[in-house]
Amino acid sequence: MSEQKTKRVLIIGIVGGLAQITARLLLQNHPDWEIVGIDSRDTNRVQNIKGLKTITMKYSRGNFEKIFREENFDIIYHLARFSHASLGAENLTKRLELSVMGTNRILDMGLRFGVKKIIVLSTYHVYGALPDNSIFLPEDSPLKASIQYPELLDVVEMDQIATNFMWKYQKKIEVVVLRPSNIIGNQIKNTMSRYLQNPLALRPVDYNPMFQFIHEFDMASVLMRSAQELPTGIYNVATDDFVSLRNALEVVGVKGIPFSMALAGPLNKFLKKMNIKIPDYLIDYLKYSCLISNKELKKHLGENFYRFNMEETLKLLRA
Amino acid sequence: MLDQLGLGLNEQEKAKQQMVLQRLKERYHNYSDPWGFDLNTVGKALSILLPIYSRYFKVRVFGAENIKDEPYIFVSNHTGQIPIDGALITLATALESNPPRILHSMVERFLASFPFLGDLSAQTGSILGDRENCKWLLNKKESILVFPEGVRGISKSTSHFYELQPFTNGFYRIALNTKTKILPVTVVGAEEMFPLVVHAKKAGKALGLPTLPISANLFPLPSPIDIYFGEPIELPEQLDAEAQDKEIRPHVHEIEKVIKGQIKHGLENKREFLEPLKRPVEFISRLKEFL
Repeated sequence: MSEQKTKRVLIIGIVGGLAQITARLLLQNHPDWEIVGIDSRDTNRVQNIKGLKTITMKYSRGNFEKIFREENFDIIYHLARFSHASLGAENLTKRLELSVMGTNRILDMGLRFGVKKIIVLSTYHVYGALPDNSIFLPEDSPLKASIQYPELLDVVEMDQIATNFMWKYQKKIEVVVLRPSNIIGNQIKNTMSRYLQNPLALRPVDYNPMFQFIHEFDMASVLMRSAQELPTGIYNVATDDFVSLRNALEVVGVKGIPFSMALAGPLNKFLKKMNIKIPDYLIDYLKYSCLISNKELKKHLGENFYRFNMEETLKLLRA
Repeated sequence: MLDQLGLGLNEQEKAKQQMVLQRLKERYHNYSDPWGFDLNTVGKALSILLPIYSRYFKVRVFGAENIKDEPYIFVSNHTGQIPIDGALITLATALESNPPRILHSMVERFLASFPFLGDLSAQTGSILGDRENCKWLLNKKESILVFPEGVRGISKSTSHFYELQPFTNGFYRIALNTKTKILPVTVVGAEEMFPLVVHAKKAGKALGLPTLPISANLFPLPSPIDIYFGEPIELPEQLDAEAQDKEIRPHVHEIEKVIKGQIKHGLENKREFLEPLKRPVEFISRLKEFL
């Protein structure tokens, strides 16, 4: 019976497209739940979602303490991630402060203020795109991303802080860490979505890695179901399908400009001077595959938990 | 362009290529793998490699009837300084086995990371040599090709040609894990592609390389190749994939013994190749005959 009780939910990073879709889905499926969305960015940018309360606040210890103490949350969605594209590799210290220390604070306060469950959005980037990657990496694979690219240190650190906390306090608080593959859609503004939405895109001629794409709606659906259906643990989120980069560009209707990845590094340096910032580590994701296994997630959500298959996901980018 | 150079397919090869490709299409039309296998690329590769296979290396295949329509781990000796033997065995299984099949050979990490080559090898069915990758293919009822001697097999000086290096146990554990039979393969003739080689291992180490081969020729000579497919070897039912090395080792030794026997037989029946080198005029005329 306790499952039916009204829950109080906090979504951190509500300005993000995925966070807004998740909030909408949560309210559609649980109209009695009370949801608060916070962001350090201007929350006036958040769409009008009936039942969602938004607050613009700095992610400081004091602000977090105040909101945790006053709102008495049951579930926390930690969806705040700091874009490498907008901050650049030179701001590693700043990102470490925001991502790593911020995550630490959220977990710590969740424990102190009696939160029942924390859902942390990590990324499959933690595994790294390496030429010797096995296929369908399980959740216990080593996190090798920061070996090649120190700029990913914050992403790996954030994931590790969450997982260490998860095991340490598993009897006191539920923690779910999600590592999704490429989330794409019209409402989220990540680098991969933008790459596939451009009318023209560089198409590597010397490499053709495999990708897994999830539609933003499907990812939001997994986030929503995590609240009640996923027990403490780490879960890769990916489809069974995979597609090569060249085929993905074809399906989505992007005109690929043949390009050698040998020139990608120098080109990216030039683009940075023009203030077009593409994270360096993404270059390797255009060379080497990093496919992840979804077996753990399927154990809890069933075999077919996606609404859109790979082709539909890609085509919807142009809808 | 290959036709203009005289390296294109002749009528007989063209017919063979088309027949094999058609049968491969029937078998693999629904197959896709996470490395990017592509039948069109296989077709193009066949056009380029078939003349090299049949006219340059004059490959002869023995025991193709041992390859039944079931998955195997093909276990081969590794010879010839560069891994041409893998490509020739793969071609032999596509061309000579009934029904034709794609044999997925394991490639080294450096090849997988190499521009163009990594992609091309993946499109033709080669994959990075990794246990999980092997298991995925075998569970899909595909066959794989392994060289359990590793780099030690192809980095031998002339004085050690055809000396089989000790096999590692990994392939046998994969076989036990996936309940896949072993099919022993032996290649004879590949060592003579680079007949005079010395491996300066110490100098190589100083340069950060596993070995430094110094060869009299830079390109492989047209040594005639014989490929022997042995009879499939069943696995012991009671042995677990996680058994100790001392329990696995005798079974691996048995496979080494089979291949050593095939090497001995192959060397006794090998076609003469180095002899004409002592008669350069005849050797050049043989080369001209090919070109």
